Amino acid sequence: MANLVSSIQFSDPYFSILLLLVIAVGMSVGFVFLSQALGPKKYEPIKYSVYECGVDPFTPAAMRVSVKFYLVALLFILFDLETAFLYPWAVLFRDLGLFGFIEMAIFMGILLAGLLYAWKKGALEWQ
Amino acid sequence: MVLGNLASLVYFLPELAVTATILLLVVLHVVLKNRRSPAAALLALLGTGTALLFAWMTPSGAGMGLFEGMVLLDGFAVFFKVLTALATAIVIFMSIDCAELAERTQAEYYIFLLSVLLGMFLLSSASDIVMVYLALELVSIPSYLLAGYFKGKGSSTEASMKYVVYGATASGVMIYGFSLLYGMTGSTQISEIGRVLAMGAAPLPASLAAGMVTVGFGYKIAAVPFHMWSPDVYEGAPTPVTAFLSVGPKAAGFAVLVRFFYTVFASPEDAGGIWKLSSSVDWTFLFSVLSAVTMTVGNLLAVNQKNVKRLLAYSSIAHAGYMLMGFVLLTAVGLKAILFYLVVYLFMNLGAFYVVVLVANGSRSEDISDFSGLGSRAPVAAVSLAIFLFALTGIPPFSGFIGKVYLFAEVINRGVYWLALVAALNSVISLYYYARIVKVMFLEDPTQSGELPVAFVPRVMLGILVVPTLLLGIYWEPVIRVAEASVKILTN
Repeated sequence: MANLVSSIQFSDPYFSILLLLVIAVGMSVGFVFLSQALGPKKYEPIKYSVYECGVDPFTPAAMRVSVKFYLVALLFILFDLETAFLYPWAVLFRDLGLFGFIEMAIFMGILLAGLLYAWKKGALEWQ
Repeated sequence: MVLGNLASLVYFLPELAVTATILLLVVLHVVLKNRRSPAAALLALLGTGTALLFAWMTPSGAGMGLFEGMVLLDGFAVFFKVLTALATAIVIFMSIDCAELAERTQAEYYIFLLSVLLGMFLLSSASDIVMVYLALELVSIPSYLLAGYFKGKGSSTEASMKYVVYGATASGVMIYGFSLLYGMTGSTQISEIGRVLAMGAAPLPASLAAGMVTVGFGYKIAAVPFHMWSPDVYEGAPTPVTAFLSVGPKAAGFAVLVRFFYTVFASPEDAGGIWKLSSSVDWTFLFSVLSAVTMTVGNLLAVNQKNVKRLLAYSSIAHAGYMLMGFVLLTAVGLKAILFYLVVYLFMNLGAFYVVVLVANGSRSEDISDFSGLGSRAPVAAVSLAIFLFALTGIPPFSGFIGKVYLFAEVINRGVYWLALVAALNSVISLYYYARIVKVMFLEDPTQSGELPVAFVPRVMLGILVVPTLLLGIYWEPVIRVAEASVKILTN
């Protein structure tokens, strides 16, 4: 043990990270045990009820969510990213010239094929 | 030489052909009124064939970095592109014949198949850890969908679920390993990472990173102890998909494994094809143990299987173990043996699965008992399966024997006798369970009456798979020369 401690070089750039790690683990573990040891222990039935912002829970937390939400979320991400690419392209449209136009046309074409697919598969309908 | 984005496109034709086919298939799937029309399969076949042709004709000069060094075009990559495209084409044929898929065959199925192919192309040529990760995911995610292609079937859904959970864990661990490598070297280029590590890296983090990366690659090639997913996935997935997963992604996994470890943790010592470890990471010992354990576990678990698909799943784990023998030797000859074995394995394993598809078309299950008396019910299929199984065992004069000779010879040349001994004992075990199927086919009475009709196209396909299995056992020189050339270029 003494050997290990003496082998630590305090000038090592990673020493501060080791220190951070020790403090972080020590604090998080320490507080759990501290609250266990020092905290007052009053057991009441209400303390054992499920906590949901102070109100009794209405439904089980593991509720089934319709897949439609995920479909819309996926499509949103797709077209959100498309806009993120379109803005810088539009700003630099003149500089990029024909090359930029063709490249963006290919990109849009791929996305359109995807949109067509999603549309025909009924992903845009909300029954 | 590193090319920019536009200049790279000319050398990227195989990938572009696959991408264009995928897009066309997406549109076709929407436009097509008749979901069962063979147009989708034909288009997929056409796209794969074009990609195969482009890959074949790629000028394989010295290694060329494409897209600012994201992927590397060399003989090694070209070899694996041709191999995986060939596997995909055969699997497409197999899917057309497969009765269990016929009810659900749609363009979507081929979209997933070709997406995996695109991923395998990129995986075998990736030279940047970001690209390696992306390509691995591109192989994995459509594979999950393919494994769960029968939505209503319990075992198929289970296969997909298990595959996702294992895959997510493995790729998570792997990318953590990548992040450690990036932290140590400050580069995402694998050649640069290797160069910096060779200048002297802290042994502990480097070994840790190597171990974590091994998890990701080991999962892809189904090496023990990362093999847990494979029997369930192989059993639950549609049979053509099983055949595909046991050959295509496994080959691509070997490609990235070899390229990554030989570039990052080793360097060529001289022109004679001998490599040495360039950093303090002694991965060769780790992988020799993995290899021995993989083949032993795979073979021992295969012995008691009742389901032929499951049996072939364990046998494919064992074959990953055999191929890993060539990986640990740090010689070009060892790598050449892996490449040659992959070619041989492609034909014999896809062939064995092809017969399973044909038998399952009649009986709707893959139990060994369904194979009883196959010798009288469908002689062509039974004799073909016997040839594939004996080739898988490694009995002369079949091609599997030559593949094993190259692997064993190099292991013994390098003096790793214990590994050769383990592999030899394993071959004996494998003879038992392969021969059991042959015995059931020819020596037992049929449980089902009537002939099993095998149509013309499957007969031709069986012929196409049997001929290389036999021929490569007698005249293998051209393939070994191609494999040798492919490995040489890797050293650049």
